[in-house]
Amino acid sequence: MNEITTTTPDRPICVLLGALGGQGGGVLIDWLVNSAKRAGYPAQATSTPGVAQRTGATTYYFELFPEKNPIESPIFTFFPASDDLDIMIAMEPTEAGRAIERGFVTDFTTVITTTERVYSTAEKVSAGDGRIDVIPVIDAIKKAAKKLIQLDVSALSAETSARGNAIAFGAVIGSGILPLTPEDCRAAITAKGVAVGSNLAGFDIGLKAAKEGIQPSRQDDDLTFDKAPNEFDGEISIFPETTREIISHGIVRLIDYQGPNYAREYLKRLKRILDIDTDQTKKLTSEMARHLARWMSFEDVIRVAQLKTRPGRLSRIRNELKVGPNTPLKLTDYFKPGRDEVLGVIPKSLSWLVPSLSKGIALHIPTGSAFGFAMLKFLSILKPLRTKTSQYIEEQKAIDQWLNAVIKAKSQDYYLACQTANLAILARGYGDVRKTGLKKLDLLFIDWNKKLENDHSGMTAQVDQMILLAHSNPDVI
Amino acid sequence: MDGGTALARVTNTGERSFGSEIKKLTLGAGEEFHGEGILAVTKALLQSGITYVGGYPGAPMSHLIDVLADASEEILEPMGITYEQAASEAGAAALLSASIHYPIRGAVTWKSVVGTNVASDALSNLASTGVTGGSLIILGDDYGEGSSIMQERTYTFAMKSSIPLVDPRYDMERMVELTEQCFGISEASNMPVFLNMRIRACHLTGTFIAKDNKIAKFNFNNPIPEQKYDVTKIVLPPASYQHEIAKFETRLPAAANFAIENKINELFEGSQENKKIGIITQGGTYTVVMRALRRLGVADAYGNSDVEIYCMNLVYPLIQSELIDFMVNKESVLVVEEGNPNYIETQIAEIAHTNVIKCRVHGKDMLPMAGEYVSNVVREGIAQYLAEEGSTEISKLALDKNTEIIAKTKKAQSHLPSPMPPRPPSFCTGCPERPIMAALKLLMKERGKFHISMDIGCNLFGSLPPFNVGNTVLGYGLSLASSGAIGPALGQPNVAIMGDGGFWHNGFTSGVVNAQWNKYDSVLVILDNGYAAATGQHKLPSTGSTPRGLESLLSIENALKGVGITWVKHVDSYSLENTIDVLREAMEARSEGLRVVISNNECMLAKQRRIKPEKAANLKAGNTVIHEKFGVDEEVCTGDHSCMRLSGCPSLTLKQSKDPLKETPVAHVDESCVACGNCGEVAHAAQLCPSFYKATAIQNAGIIRKYASSINRSFLNLMGSVK
Repeated sequence: MNEITTTTPDRPICVLLGALGGQGGGVLIDWLVNSAKRAGYPAQATSTPGVAQRTGATTYYFELFPEKNPIESPIFTFFPASDDLDIMIAMEPTEAGRAIERGFVTDFTTVITTTERVYSTAEKVSAGDGRIDVIPVIDAIKKAAKKLIQLDVSALSAETSARGNAIAFGAVIGSGILPLTPEDCRAAITAKGVAVGSNLAGFDIGLKAAKEGIQPSRQDDDLTFDKAPNEFDGEISIFPETTREIISHGIVRLIDYQGPNYAREYLKRLKRILDIDTDQTKKLTSEMARHLARWMSFEDVIRVAQLKTRPGRLSRIRNELKVGPNTPLKLTDYFKPGRDEVLGVIPKSLSWLVPSLSKGIALHIPTGSAFGFAMLKFLSILKPLRTKTSQYIEEQKAIDQWLNAVIKAKSQDYYLACQTANLAILARGYGDVRKTGLKKLDLLFIDWNKKLENDHSGMTAQVDQMILLAHSNPDVI
Repeated sequence: MDGGTALARVTNTGERSFGSEIKKLTLGAGEEFHGEGILAVTKALLQSGITYVGGYPGAPMSHLIDVLADASEEILEPMGITYEQAASEAGAAALLSASIHYPIRGAVTWKSVVGTNVASDALSNLASTGVTGGSLIILGDDYGEGSSIMQERTYTFAMKSSIPLVDPRYDMERMVELTEQCFGISEASNMPVFLNMRIRACHLTGTFIAKDNKIAKFNFNNPIPEQKYDVTKIVLPPASYQHEIAKFETRLPAAANFAIENKINELFEGSQENKKIGIITQGGTYTVVMRALRRLGVADAYGNSDVEIYCMNLVYPLIQSELIDFMVNKESVLVVEEGNPNYIETQIAEIAHTNVIKCRVHGKDMLPMAGEYVSNVVREGIAQYLAEEGSTEISKLALDKNTEIIAKTKKAQSHLPSPMPPRPPSFCTGCPERPIMAALKLLMKERGKFHISMDIGCNLFGSLPPFNVGNTVLGYGLSLASSGAIGPALGQPNVAIMGDGGFWHNGFTSGVVNAQWNKYDSVLVILDNGYAAATGQHKLPSTGSTPRGLESLLSIENALKGVGITWVKHVDSYSLENTIDVLREAMEARSEGLRVVISNNECMLAKQRRIKPEKAANLKAGNTVIHEKFGVDEEVCTGDHSCMRLSGCPSLTLKQSKDPLKETPVAHVDESCVACGNCGEVAHAAQLCPSFYKATAIQNAGIIRKYASSINRSFLNLMGSVK
């Protein structure tokens, strides 16, 4: 397995572990310490667990002298050092990135990392997509380190209840850098006495993954496009090849939302864009196809009721809880409709009946019970009524206003048209979030033609800025 | 709800146990100890014949207190050792008063520098009067990576009160030996002694050969025959003047003499060719120095070095004669001294100067003024020293090696596309303090932002994203006191948050009593989660029992009542809207003096530690178990992440949607969810969205329940709930 040199070693083997609080890093280090003890190698570990809370980044550090009973005591120290680190274990891929950032990983280092992201608060609070792209980070590790072993914990653990720390432990031994045998390690896991069965299973999985160099399967992030009914084939065929997939998906969404006629309304609107889309890429048409379908299927009470009573929802939730089909299941849905939401189910002519409801009506709907389900089901079948509601009428008005704005922008420049199309992101969310977004759009589009003619570059800057803000953390603006 | 959780907690004290650690503390002569650094120090105390031990918990030395608390029967009672987890570090320091007159050894411990700050009053008095029995203060030095406090040195305290300071070399065998010798230094000099233990040293693992535990001559099983009175031990003139003189004329010299005789400080000789240079290091940085020398090619893996090393395990007072011997034939030395100001370096320079030794003293000119002395930092400083002062051969070797390391590191770093996301600590999944921060953030949206004075403890994470609701922090239990001049200056009530730990530590007297007496227009939010949670679930007066498991409950409510505070309201923090209402009411009752809002939901980590095994056992036994989890309907989520900006829960995270129409990732509740309900409450209170649901599965349900459920399912099927 590993090369054990016959000459006296001139340095300890150094291992750094980067983990988040709660990932079992301390247990992994304990296993290493006790395996070394069993095998008879001098070793030392240390850690900076700091505050005990979860999610903070924390490190553990381990040194092992690869000679049993040396005549003199080797010196162990507390800190990893640049170009002196044999193994970097990361329980999350950006923690491996952090080890590079801090200068611990060089082409001397074997990096063992789990591949599943645990998003940081900084990434989560963005109103857009604040996630850092992990692929370039993995590529950087490959370039920076001697070797990279990736562990896709959920795929590897499959049917077992093995946890990441046990799998990483196996991979450390499987990498062959430490002179510890799997038997030493299994004995240490058994002696520790915590979840022995699943930890032994995890250890063996990791050992195998590292030895056989199992590559993680590509994350299945592929989008799934629905296929529109055949009767739409003709209508779709007038659109360029590259846009048909998303248009077809949009049609399916809108048929589900309101019906075939509504989907045709979508195509009619989109045709207006196609007619002016002179660019070869047809980027504007495909962007609009996406934004328009999303906006036209805005989530009013009827839509939410429809989604919440979707066939199969209850069994999906049972799977999440890992319980069988016969286990009694209670479900509570949190609704708090304000006036705007109520207007989504009341014909416009009756709007005056609805009070202001500034705080909303707090509802806990027991959707798991026949009664609660029936209530939502009733709301969902009000679909035909939708087109009479004031919320529907207002949204359609806003959509057309935006559509016209895009067309007008196109008459000036293509980039601005695409950006104006992207402004549809402001029409999202519920309650105040949605109201504020729509208001911003309305304010922007008032006298839009005149504004564009007078100050084209100023308006472009303003639109760019609005999109940027819609994708940032509003708390720091 | 009044203190309701406390009594329930008492009956559940067995959630953590230290059986295997206790076994290590009872090892006899010749047996091998293998374990953590702080536990090795604890064993050294027992081998030194202590009569009492105490402390206040905090990282990194909590383990000492925890393990002994659990060891009543096996260790404390048979050895007659008095044990106390004091109400504060001041209380712990005051325990040492027992060694002023009486020939009994004792040890106390806390986190430094913060704990030393709190203990200062007692320490100054103790250092003035001096001690008869060996008195040891073990400091968990929370400096550098992983620290949760301000970065300062403990050395200043040693100097100002003339307390000998031991900073041991971190080899477990040596560390244990030095701990035992600290009592010798203390008894020889009649001074208490500081033993400084860095974070990583407390948590290091290692081995030493144990000795038998030593039962002190006097202990609670064999009391001292009579009390002693001696007016010269009272800190009043004229005795206090004599104390001052004694410190410098007899006590500190006695400490140095003891150190010389017992070879506390160590000389590691270098090679003949390199006698002109040398390194002086604190014991605590010795291994880092040796690693640097090895990396630079001038030492081997066992510490055999070309460069001579003087390793000071006693860093205060300095031993002048040894330093003179070390420097007298050298052209230069490098002082590796972590932290600032550089007291050691300046004292050594002064010794060289006054003794007319022509040896250049380097230190902070080559090493950074501030920050932890980690391997890379020390290596670079030593490389510079060897390059400037070493022989031609060593100079080139060190420079080349150092340049190569830096080049390789920079090359590796150059591949990274962008900075990694920061990951500060935050509230745990299901933490009852999270909704309070959400409530305050929402209240600020309604009323405009106001200043909040935070306290030490988990609550401080409210100052970080996504909440950003804490403006200042000034010390443990000091949030309310620190708000006193802020409210009037801003035209708002004083608003302070305090944990139950802070309340009992200092918050009641310095905060509550002060506010009540001075008729503050104040709102105090007390987060009573049952423990000093930030330090790792330590017991408090209001937990319901002592660390040793004796039933003992002090009530926060009664304490408030006792000083005449009438506006006290309780909230269940998970009921977010109600919490907001109560907080609003408190903010508005400006003519009513101090208003106190108490949230007393238990620390979720503690709760889970208790109920998880219970649930698993019940499930296995076939009893009915309720399994709850929150979730997000992906289709309903519009991906603007408002919920995350009001939650920050680790289990509420992002997920790539497969829907091509979604522009941003959707919210997702992962498996770690403990169903506290905060995400649903937030969505409700802020009228965010209807994406959240709570699912409750009734496992091993009774027959009636099952029957009702199957009827329910038939109705659901009829309505098309199944695909």
